[in-house]
Amino acid sequence: MVYAWQDKLEKLDNFRWKIPQSYKPGMKVPGLIYASEKLLTGIINDKAPEQVANVAFLPGIVKYSLAMPDIHWGYGFSIGGVAATDPENGGVIAPGGIGYDICCGVRLVRSDLTLDELKPRLETLVNALFNNIPSGVGSSGDIKASAKEEEEIFLKGAAWAVKKGYGVKEDLDFTEDRGSIEGADPSGVSKRAYERGRGQSGTLGSGNHFLEVQVIDEIYDEEKADIFSLFKGQITMMIHSGSRGLGYQICDDYVKGMISCLDKYNINVPDRQLACAPLNSPEGKSYLRAMKCATNYAWTNRQCLMHLARNVFEKVFNKSWNSLGLKLVYDVAHNIAKMEKHKVDGKERLLCVHRKGATRAFPPGHPELPEAYKKTGQPVIIPGDMGTFSYVLAGTEGSMRETFGSTCHGAGRCLSRSGAVKVCAGRSIDKELFNKSGIIVRAKTRTTLAEEAPEAYKDVGEVVDVVHGAGLSKKVCRMRPLGVIKG
Amino acid sequence: MKPFELVDHTADVGIKAHGSTLTELFENAARGMFAVIAGEKYKAQGSKIEKKIEINENKDNLEEILVSWLSELLDIFNREKIYLDNFRILSLNNNGIKAETSGVNIDLYQSDLYTEIKAVTFHNLKIEEDVEGFSCTIIFDV
Repeated sequence: MVYAWQDKLEKLDNFRWKIPQSYKPGMKVPGLIYASEKLLTGIINDKAPEQVANVAFLPGIVKYSLAMPDIHWGYGFSIGGVAATDPENGGVIAPGGIGYDICCGVRLVRSDLTLDELKPRLETLVNALFNNIPSGVGSSGDIKASAKEEEEIFLKGAAWAVKKGYGVKEDLDFTEDRGSIEGADPSGVSKRAYERGRGQSGTLGSGNHFLEVQVIDEIYDEEKADIFSLFKGQITMMIHSGSRGLGYQICDDYVKGMISCLDKYNINVPDRQLACAPLNSPEGKSYLRAMKCATNYAWTNRQCLMHLARNVFEKVFNKSWNSLGLKLVYDVAHNIAKMEKHKVDGKERLLCVHRKGATRAFPPGHPELPEAYKKTGQPVIIPGDMGTFSYVLAGTEGSMRETFGSTCHGAGRCLSRSGAVKVCAGRSIDKELFNKSGIIVRAKTRTTLAEEAPEAYKDVGEVVDVVHGAGLSKKVCRMRPLGVIKG
Repeated sequence: MKPFELVDHTADVGIKAHGSTLTELFENAARGMFAVIAGEKYKAQGSKIEKKIEINENKDNLEEILVSWLSELLDIFNREKIYLDNFRILSLNNNGIKAETSGVNIDLYQSDLYTEIKAVTFHNLKIEEDVEGFSCTIIFDV
């Protein structure tokens, strides 16, 4: 496998590797993988490059089937995949190119607290966060929405939460799409999806989802950091969650439904998990409307989680969250499809950009950005594993030119879950993290800890250096974990 | 022949199910999925609840019926909190399945064993025939 790929990949420069269109008959465009030599060794040992080639089969795909440096083997799409399709050219939408956890993403909250101020209360804070934020599978939380309110969440997203008092209007200014995407239609959400999502607003979920208390330990771009109100020694909080059972079921319903579209619209893809339908077809439109319900639900969920966390900070520090400076820096989605305007060969076109484990990275001056960030470009939030670092980057023109305004989304796995459990057999990951780095970890289950051990992930620093070096986004600062809550 | 084995996947979890007949393959795939959920050694204790399953879909495709079958069982687990451990397929063809299944009403959500399956995927799904019967690798999104 390794040697096969070494012969097939064409090195363009230190960060770019091309899969020629001739690799497989049926590819409509070439593939392009962003990676360093070091990361590539891992990537070609995985099945992800084959999936990059498979995505190139999608009708209407524009320029390249793209892969970010955190790419790893997924199902249908690789995780870390980006594909833009053109509705005017038979372009399709593939639910598998968004994934089951629709609008999974991260938000970063700043504070006025410094490490010295936090240290004496860190353990109390982490325990209180763990006890007050519902985590784990199928967890249901304190934030309840009636059936009628659930529809409002689907339609209005995070604005519903703010209306209920779970945050302030300013939070919406600093959320991608202001936490509410237009065009959602609950009529395409199945009864099953409704029931699976019920009661899960304001719950973290399981697996790789987390809430982390961090300290900024390195600034790379003083000017941008200053505009994002970030400084060295500052305490931040990161929340990683998605659309929970609702999103899983919507994706599941539509992948199943779209398999019949492959025959109906004469679409040839090498993997049924790439089931898709033309953007202009009734099936494609219906999925987009349902996907938007889950998208709005996910933004609401992260807004509610932030609200619950702010309450915990208030209790632990006996001060209002406002006077603690707990303001939202930004919230980004990394499993999503969006209709966006992009220049292709000098002409502006409206494209459907699939980001499956990839983050939007819009450049300075982009109309979608909040006024405060017009000069810096969009904050890009990249979580690492629980033992190393996370990063804030800023969007660039480079991503607009090359990757439809997209960049990486995290470290990316390099070990399977069972592989990680094997590596960690007989070890106590939480004790190790505490003894080695003073990181306090609280998790619902020991299996989660082993599955999510630092060894299971690639070196996030290496991933970030690739997107920085390739000009897809620029490094602003780095955060070190202090306390982690896992589902 | 083992009824199923767990398969490594970088981001998710898979099983390879075997069966001397297609019916057995489908039953073993269901056993494999519940082994992913709670581990191979887990035995649910409690009074049995019976469920009847009937899927009729105009698919003309056995692999799609396999995904529908497993998704239906996963849905019973997710919504009704029934851990299913007994499967009996009464009829099976390219367009549907009729089966009886039973399990125990148990909330595994807070248990240390539990792995959440988001969905049964179609990724590279292919039922293959060999000298011992049939086999199929199924990837779950976890």
